[in-house]
Amino acid sequence: MADLVLETHNLTKEFIRRKGFSSPRRPLDKTVFTAVKGISLSIERGEIFGLLGPNGAGKTTLTKMLCTLLLPSAGNASICGFDLARQQGKVKSRIALISSEERSFYWRLSGRQNLDFFAALHGLSKKTARQRIDKVLEIVEMSDAADRRFQEYSTGMKQRMGLARGLLADPEIFFMDEPTKGLDPIAAWHLHEFIRNRLAAAGKTVVIATHHLAEAEQICDRVGVMYAGEMRASGAVKELTGDASLTDFFRDLVEQSMVEPSKSWDVGGMPVEGMPVEGMPE
Amino acid sequence: MILNFRKPMAFLKKDFLMEISYKFSFVLQFASIFFSVVMFYFVAKLLGDAPSVQSSLSEYGGDYFSFVLIGIAFSNFLSVGLGSFATSIRSEQMIGTLEAMLVTPTRLSNIVLSSSQWSFAFTSLRVGVYLLIGGLFFGVSFAGAAVLPALLALVLTVVAFSSLGIISASFIMVYKRGDPIAFVLATSSTLLGGVYYPISVLPGWLQSLSYLFPITYSLRAIRLSLLQGAGFDEVGSDLLALLAFSCITIPISLFCFRLAVRRAKRDGSLAHY
Repeated sequence: MADLVLETHNLTKEFIRRKGFSSPRRPLDKTVFTAVKGISLSIERGEIFGLLGPNGAGKTTLTKMLCTLLLPSAGNASICGFDLARQQGKVKSRIALISSEERSFYWRLSGRQNLDFFAALHGLSKKTARQRIDKVLEIVEMSDAADRRFQEYSTGMKQRMGLARGLLADPEIFFMDEPTKGLDPIAAWHLHEFIRNRLAAAGKTVVIATHHLAEAEQICDRVGVMYAGEMRASGAVKELTGDASLTDFFRDLVEQSMVEPSKSWDVGGMPVEGMPVEGMPE
Repeated sequence: MILNFRKPMAFLKKDFLMEISYKFSFVLQFASIFFSVVMFYFVAKLLGDAPSVQSSLSEYGGDYFSFVLIGIAFSNFLSVGLGSFATSIRSEQMIGTLEAMLVTPTRLSNIVLSSSQWSFAFTSLRVGVYLLIGGLFFGVSFAGAAVLPALLALVLTVVAFSSLGIISASFIMVYKRGDPIAFVLATSSTLLGGVYYPISVLPGWLQSLSYLFPITYSLRAIRLSLLQGAGFDEVGSDLLALLAFSCITIPISLFCFRLAVRRAKRDGSLAHY
């Protein structure tokens, strides 16, 4: 029986916007934008799952919901058996969010001081924190630079610090939002190796939101392709693409989505429900 | 139990390290206290022993400099209580660290309360420096001060102002800027609360209004305790007023904050600024 660590059922996120002064006659009128529509997903322990899609497809919104940063408008989800809406504390103890956002650190503090602060927020005692910090710094090869101010790091070093922070509490699921953004090809390759050989090999689950198809093809066990908030296809890369490349498959899927927004696709033996898409470009 | 203190201590350490990383600003803040005290010393000299000053301040011993020194020193707690929660949220939103904190198993309420600790600690230090300068260089005497009632008044003051600050932070959470609570309360409290002059000089109707603001009770209790050695029996009514104020505003502030967090999470604007 599959050991599922992440399950979502019909997860939906709608944002309500008031028209305000752009519509002076009716400033209180609302518009509803559905960023994520009815996503149902199951991810197994130790799996590397790629969330693919063009900009604005809903990858980051879905990731933020799964990290408890956004409340779903409908549907439900569980992480490691804990309900996303009702057991947020337990969910947070089992996840890490690693984004490409460099500004999520205190730039005037050293790398070690930053990690010490976040270790405390994870509830690690001083002694455990010290040991974990030394260990994760060693893993990301930042031990020598740990006492330098964060603002002195290169982009690659900042990304490694993000990874080190994610590793601090030894979570079960890593959510990575565009993890190789801004990295040179060598640094990106090192990160891919790390995800495959250290995280997945240790039974950790990794969910990567990316629009770099080569990255997804290279390291993901399965991918889900999002477009306009919907999951248009999901499955193992080879199952989905057959003999074609992921890039060709992705392009065809996006083009078809634009032409026939309500069509149902049957991809790689996995029927995917097509739904009418609001706000689709003509 | 140790872990419970670990998080607030981590915030205190982080904010202290951030503060001293801007060394010049750190030193400058203490220098500004000295200049402010000197300025009011000369204002007090100008007023001298005028009979009107003596009669207005007779309750506090008649010396304007001692009166205003305590007023400006302790009104710092008003600013920090009203502003630090909102400022800390806004600062973390702007730096970009709020989301990174929110994915850790630490409650937002814990993050907001812990983030403002440094402001209160630093303000206590600043108030200490105000009193030290006044005592060492300008002859203000605290020899007969009743420390315990003053300390209790201080604690109740911090709690009362903080509950208003949390309501203010709720506005910032949702509207990001333009918080009316802090603006109205800070301005009215300074005008009516007796920071620079006793409320007895105000017209009757403004005096009545001044009793709506906790700063009026705080400053009266602290001044009487520190300058006149007043005990619990003399400042008891002020302490009770502060306690009653806190009992009403704390539940309201927590309710507002919970609503604001829920709305920001629903709108996806938690980390926006």
